Amino acid sequence: MTTSTSARVESASAGSTPVLAARTRGLRKTYGSTVAVDRVDLDLPEGAVLGMLGPNGSGKTTTIRMLLGLVRPTEGTVELLGRALPDGAAASLPHVGALVEGPGFHPFLSGRENLRRVAAFEPLLATGSVKQAVEDAVERVGLAQAAHRRYRGYSLGMKQRLGLAAALLVPRKLIVLDEPTNGLDPAGTREVRKVIGDLHAAGSTVLVSSHLLSEIEATCTHVAVLHRGTVVAQGELAELLHSDSTALQVTTSDVDSALTALRAARISARPSTEGVRVELIGTTAPAVFQTLVQAGVEIHEAVRQRTGLEELFARLTEAEESDHLSAVDTNEGAR
Amino acid sequence: MTTAVATRAPLTRQLRSELRWIVRRPRTVIGLGLLCVVPILAGVGLWFAVDNTQGPAGPGLAAIIAGNGLVLPIFTLFLSLPLLLPLVGAIWAADGLAGEANNGTLRGLLVAPVGRIRLLGIKAFGIAVMSLFAVTLMAVVGIITGVALFGMDGMLTVSGTTLSTGAALGRIVLTILLVTFQMWAVAAVALAISACTEHPLVVMAATMAGLIVFAVLGAFSSLDWLQPYLITSAWNGLTDVMRDPMPTGELWNSTGLAACYLVIGLSLATIRLVTKDG
Repeated sequence: MTTSTSARVESASAGSTPVLAARTRGLRKTYGSTVAVDRVDLDLPEGAVLGMLGPNGSGKTTTIRMLLGLVRPTEGTVELLGRALPDGAAASLPHVGALVEGPGFHPFLSGRENLRRVAAFEPLLATGSVKQAVEDAVERVGLAQAAHRRYRGYSLGMKQRLGLAAALLVPRKLIVLDEPTNGLDPAGTREVRKVIGDLHAAGSTVLVSSHLLSEIEATCTHVAVLHRGTVVAQGELAELLHSDSTALQVTTSDVDSALTALRAARISARPSTEGVRVELIGTTAPAVFQTLVQAGVEIHEAVRQRTGLEELFARLTEAEESDHLSAVDTNEGAR
Repeated sequence: MTTAVATRAPLTRQLRSELRWIVRRPRTVIGLGLLCVVPILAGVGLWFAVDNTQGPAGPGLAAIIAGNGLVLPIFTLFLSLPLLLPLVGAIWAADGLAGEANNGTLRGLLVAPVGRIRLLGIKAFGIAVMSLFAVTLMAVVGIITGVALFGMDGMLTVSGTTLSTGAALGRIVLTILLVTFQMWAVAAVALAISACTEHPLVVMAATMAGLIVFAVLGAFSSLDWLQPYLITSAWNGLTDVMRDPMPTGELWNSTGLAACYLVIGLSLATIRLVTKDG
């Protein structure tokens, strides 16, 4: 919508390698025999607002927890603000504000006292400025009237706001918000959007996860779509929405090696009925062909298909039968 | 891009925040209040037992307890050591890690970031200070109650001698320190359990169950070889502070055993916490 201007500026420099606020490579996390996250290569350019989109259980929160050093990946690496975790955590985490898995506070303390406790452990906050930082944060999320009340009595929306306030105690280079609008009324949702907009304008990088498409459309410059624990598409929102972004249906009998080759070349692809479906995000059809040919994959046929964000998301995250819907639903993508 | 160096919040600010957080919890206030009631109840109970010379205690006890109010704090501490004090320590240990994880506040601390080993140090510090405070509080209430009900005229030891008031107060301070240290040992083990779960109740149940099992094991004479390793069995030796002259062998023994529990508990807690998913 209105964020597209700044996004276009960034897309102009997309050819050169952008500075990344966070970067994951080959991230994998298993719990017993359950694979929560697999092969996640996420790039979070500095200054971007990246929307992490995916249905419930698609690995958004697990990825975020690994990004913050809360969970140790089974495989793969995380770089946060230019430093590899977990060793660089002490240096990078002070510059990161986070609201993960919903707000967590002590029920018997007031909102203000809860923030004071959080503030006491903030490395970048001088002891003398703790009080003022807490008041500013409370003001910023519209909780000033309720700050003296016990957290126990807060509504879901107020709890969410307090969680946001804790992430905003210190000016941050990176803010990670996991489902920040959960439980908020429309006014609260707009305020969160405004906060994200302000952070973006101030030059902070924001990572916001959501399963709400409208949320991502309204606030983000970049999008990463997760499905069943893996990134099935990522790129700039402006590109996805306004350019002739297309998918390529490649018919081949050699699906496995096609997928391996494409993923190695960091091109989003997933198996479809008679071959692979390739998302042309940050890549071109010739590049795809070249990759496949070099890998010795036989291409029987390749067909372009138009796509919009909603339709793209639906197709990436729903079952195989949505293949047929793509032709029908294209118009609905422009909401 | 970023020239960030590792920074940390000042340790004193973190420790202060931890202590304030423990003290502000309603259960802490209630727990400390109930601990204060124990010496008062014990004192009043003794007073009635003495007052009623027809009762089972008879006039003999009256003669022993008269002017001997300074025994009450020591008596109360030994009375509370097997269950009450470990329970309170287990509550603080349970809230310290499992409770924070349960509230979702632990990840906030880890992302702040507070280093995991440092976080454990802060938690251990909070519990240690509060344990010392709780034991001292009980002793002070015990002294006041004892002196008010029975008067103060030195202290009669179990060896039959009478200590001067100054020496008696010295014995009380020694008891406070010894009992506190035992409490630390139990709390350290509780903290290790706390690092393994998100349910504070599990920590308390496991700690109390452990103490009860230890006490039962200690009661079997066929398991005598096990006695030197049971922290609960070593507690009996602490009553040596009431003897004159005071033999120190048992006191060192039980303190040494408690130190082992302390080191093992904190080590296990560290190992678990550094690999724990936040």
